[in-house]
Amino acid sequence: MTDRRTEALGAALAERARPVTPLPPPLRRAMLTLVPLGAAGAVLVLIAGDVPGMMRRYSGREALMAVEMGAMAATALLAVIGAFALSVPGGSRRWLIAPMPLFVVWIGASGLGCWRDFGRLGPGGWESGHSPNCLLFILAASLPIGGVMLWRLSRARPIDPLPVALLGGLGAAALAALLLQFFHPFGLTAIDLGVHFAAVALVVALVAFLRRQTLAPA
Amino acid sequence: MVARAIRGQATTKKATDSGWSDLLAAAQGGDGEAYRAFLEAILPFARAIARRHLRSEEQVEDAVQDSLLTLHRVRHTYEPGRPVEPWLAAIVRRRAIDLARRSGRIGARELFDEAAFETFADPQANRQEAAEAADSVAHMLEELTPKQREALELVKLKEMSLAEASAVSGQSVGSLKVNVHRAIQRLRRGLSRDAGG
Repeated sequence: MTDRRTEALGAALAERARPVTPLPPPLRRAMLTLVPLGAAGAVLVLIAGDVPGMMRRYSGREALMAVEMGAMAATALLAVIGAFALSVPGGSRRWLIAPMPLFVVWIGASGLGCWRDFGRLGPGGWESGHSPNCLLFILAASLPIGGVMLWRLSRARPIDPLPVALLGGLGAAALAALLLQFFHPFGLTAIDLGVHFAAVALVVALVAFLRRQTLAPA
Repeated sequence: MVARAIRGQATTKKATDSGWSDLLAAAQGGDGEAYRAFLEAILPFARAIARRHLRSEEQVEDAVQDSLLTLHRVRHTYEPGRPVEPWLAAIVRRRAIDLARRSGRIGARELFDEAAFETFADPQANRQEAAEAADSVAHMLEELTPKQREALELVKLKEMSLAEASAVSGQSVGSLKVNVHRAIQRLRRGLSRDAGG
């Protein structure tokens, strides 16, 4: 069965066929977003970061530092690429789970570091070290990173904005947490670690909640 | 023109997708004839996808119309040279699922009453309170949301088809139906409030 109104709608839309510029492929768009953000983060670390403090914190366990920070960076990378892939129609939903194994490695490595600190600090390992500062840092850093990300993602006017927002939020929060490493010259307590992940969850939830206002879905 | 050249091609699946790809790429460049040919050519495919998610033919047609509007808004996301079918199927599937969910929610919460549109058959019977009623209706129209007012005006007062109203307002066909229905419900509640007061 056909409906002449549908054909009429097609004809009406064809009359408004203004030229449009096709978006570049998702991977290229992701890189064009990540490279400037990475450059801005590197400048910030060079100006105000505490790299020697970070190296002291990981002294004797550089391998753990490499695994933890590598997992954070890879989580951010896959989440951001996935968000751009899902922002256009036909992107594979498998991108939703792609960053998860690395996210688990990130949690595991952070937890291991925290456990070792707990052995060193004793009961003090349960105290809230610098949690409020960490929470504020992740939230504050996620704001510009997430803003840039959402603005870039909104160019595609995603037809299903929730998965795009979830991955975009995870990418922004992971980048903010990675940046925090360079401003965090003290060991993590269990509470600190919990607050780090609560901040990541909060950013993801906030971006998902604001998806309709920020992603301009079609 | 691209549209005429494509029509002459063989109709195997590969040739079809390649033809669609060329038409859509031309449409991105502003070729209205190619765009019209593309939007016509994809209809059977779009209907087939929508039927996988929706039962009634009316809903299938609504979903296809919503899909055409969405496609128009996101046509810049198609990457020339890539297969069109997965891109197009994702749009239609999304709109069909949205429509099925919306219908489920509305069906669970609201009733549609055909008799609500009836009035007295004798015009004289309505004349006495006509001026008062006009004020009352104007006041009630102000209480509608802008989208409800726009939907009511285009579909009921200007008697446009849903597709035409959708193209004019940018609201999807499904949203227009919902907004007209809710506007009428709101007006009806206002009328019974006035009658009670």
